[in-house]
Amino acid sequence: MPELTYREAVRDALRKALREDERVFLMGEDIAEMGGSMAVTQGLLEEFGPQRVRNTPISEMAIVGSGIGAAIQGMRPVVEIMYEDFLTLSMEQLVNQAAKHRTMSGGQVRVPLTVRTQGGAGWSPGAQHAQQLEAWFVHVPGLKVVFASTPEDVRGLLWSSIYDDNPVLFFEHRTLYPIKGEVPEELEPIPLGKARVHREGEDVTVVATGRLVHEALRAAEEAERDGVSVEVVDPRTLLPLDEETIIASVRKTTRCVTAHEAVTRGGFGAELAAVIQHGAFDWLDAPIERVGAKFAPLPFAPVMEQYVVPHAEDVYEAIRRTVARG
Amino acid sequence: MAVEVRLPRLGQGMEAGTIVRWLKAKGDPVAKGEPLYELDTDKVTQEVEAEADGVLLEILVPEGEAAVGTTVAIIGEAGEDVSALLAAQTSVGDGAGPASTPRTEEPHGAEAERERGARVDEEPGAGARGGPELRPSVAPEARGSEPQRRTEPAAAAARRPGERVKASPLARRIARERGIDLAAIVGTGPEGRVIAEDVEQAAAESAWAPATPALAVPGGATEVEVVPLSSVRRTIARRLSEAWEAPVFQLTVSANASELVATRERMVALLREGEVRPTVSDVLTKLVAVALVRHPAVNAHFLDDAIHRYSTARVGLAVAAPTGLVVPVIWSAERRTVQEIAVARADLVERAREGKLQLVDLEGGTFTISNLGMYGIEQFTAVLNPPQVAILAVGAIEERPQVVGGELVVAPALTMTLTCDHRALDGSDGADFLRTVKEYVEAPALAL
Repeated sequence: MPELTYREAVRDALRKALREDERVFLMGEDIAEMGGSMAVTQGLLEEFGPQRVRNTPISEMAIVGSGIGAAIQGMRPVVEIMYEDFLTLSMEQLVNQAAKHRTMSGGQVRVPLTVRTQGGAGWSPGAQHAQQLEAWFVHVPGLKVVFASTPEDVRGLLWSSIYDDNPVLFFEHRTLYPIKGEVPEELEPIPLGKARVHREGEDVTVVATGRLVHEALRAAEEAERDGVSVEVVDPRTLLPLDEETIIASVRKTTRCVTAHEAVTRGGFGAELAAVIQHGAFDWLDAPIERVGAKFAPLPFAPVMEQYVVPHAEDVYEAIRRTVARG
Repeated sequence: MAVEVRLPRLGQGMEAGTIVRWLKAKGDPVAKGEPLYELDTDKVTQEVEAEADGVLLEILVPEGEAAVGTTVAIIGEAGEDVSALLAAQTSVGDGAGPASTPRTEEPHGAEAERERGARVDEEPGAGARGGPELRPSVAPEARGSEPQRRTEPAAAAARRPGERVKASPLARRIARERGIDLAAIVGTGPEGRVIAEDVEQAAAESAWAPATPALAVPGGATEVEVVPLSSVRRTIARRLSEAWEAPVFQLTVSANASELVATRERMVALLREGEVRPTVSDVLTKLVAVALVRHPAVNAHFLDDAIHRYSTARVGLAVAAPTGLVVPVIWSAERRTVQEIAVARADLVERAREGKLQLVDLEGGTFTISNLGMYGIEQFTAVLNPPQVAILAVGAIEERPQVVGGELVVAPALTMTLTCDHRALDGSDGADFLRTVKEYVEAPALAL
């Protein structure tokens, strides 16, 4: 199987969709000549021209709003919000417009819009350029929310997002762009709402998203040395959520840790914990542990940044707490 | 600030350990991470490291067996007064003192435990017990009687009659399903919470009659050698007795081993200097592993309410270690080359003989091979290794008369017997698997 970086995998899905389907086009700040601030769309302007790879003014409200309009008119737009922190500026369009049209029109209007965005700490970007805000959108009926952690997943899930008839918030993680991974020769769509079991285990399930999937896998190896067998599950789609796979896993292992880079309080792990305690109550042998960032704006100083966000060690310690005695 | 050194739980299922010897003496300075004492569990012996810096102020369990969580020593600053901590320890049934538990005919069961709890609470001095944080200190003699070991501290653990029991939802469900009274169980989870393993343990103990303590031998030591059970021996006894209750059947097959022997000889001929020589058993491990992946019904665990089938073969090899039988596990054996299996096996066997296996080496097996071929045993039946659903007993490869293509020839042959847990497997499942193994033995290339 060929290897792609996470960045190349996103680009590969975009390029294939642009080649095969005239309804697909891209919009965003500096995505054309510059190739996007994260270099994801590099080379696409040259291949597809300025009609289909469009730079926009610096107005997230306008980017998402015009994307909604185009989607309603039958296009399949993929718009980019440079940093997910800037989603705040497009909240009206996402929450009150994109998410509501389909149901409020009795199904007459569909909004097949994909909003790509990225975030994540680890490179000292400060408090306004690295947040993890995915949980906000899980609270909005009418949206779908995807957060992919591997090249294979990001490519297959982006494809399915473009071809979903609902607006999809598609989160990428800044520090995952350079990671490499095997992908199928031909792009294989990955259905939304299907979790991936990265590693099977017997004693504890770690449900992790984004960068923390990789941290969880490292923690699992460490725990294995202590004789604790860890299962690592990545939901991949936060909304809709593959409750079945997650609950089955926790019923098997009887213990659970949730892990994401976003702050713990009110994070997606809280939703997971609620779903799991309901679906696996009689199978739980320890309180569900949550791993996430400390409740603080992200500091610029690298040591402080590292202190605030979670790492493999935090997942490992949470695993240890779930199997603790006395 | 003095800290208590508590007997750690080194792996799933560990309930107690035996302190073999201390590597530090009372009064020695210790650093966090330094080896403190040697601990013998039912699976391995390993060094336990100090978890704090300071001076080893007291050793409470000089040697012998203690339950997980027992305070075995105290580390603190030089000259620190730890009398309060010590008092708390010794007030539990006289603490680690050997003569602490001379009871013989104690009533069992939750009812009696509660009664005793109430009675004990009325005794003068009960207030000095130190509250719910206190951990039971178990004297070696008390270990002879398992149910008492578990239930006695329940009374001492300051849980009053009618007091709410902290238990995990899973522990509650298991207790409900099996009709076990949670109040009679000592919780070993955080803050004394009863967790699933505690209930399982209590259930197993109520079903398992305790071993009779070594009797005084009338003839004296010259005639009868009394061998106290090591923790390994005790585990073997308990697990195999449990296994004996499973409804099992055996299937036996003989196979022409000419190709097996020849394949292994060709492998050895290709070796470079210094490489580990694969044995016939190593080739067999590989063949069986590949067969297991084709027959996941056999590559499974039988658990209380489900059969767990595995997609990868973790093959346990029964090894005779000086302390008794151990079964180290080769993971993903189907994906390894014979040479890789040989290297892994050589390492495991060597460490097994030296008593240096870690718990991780012994856990997770999905199937076991027991090979007595080197002793010249022609065929035998092995006892299940639960929760695995089958075990393969392999006899010696020897020249036997065989009929090949209508001709009587003499060729190497071996006989294998598969013991199957009938709760999980039917005769046809085992026969299917064994047929594949036979085909692979007669034509190893099919699996390599």
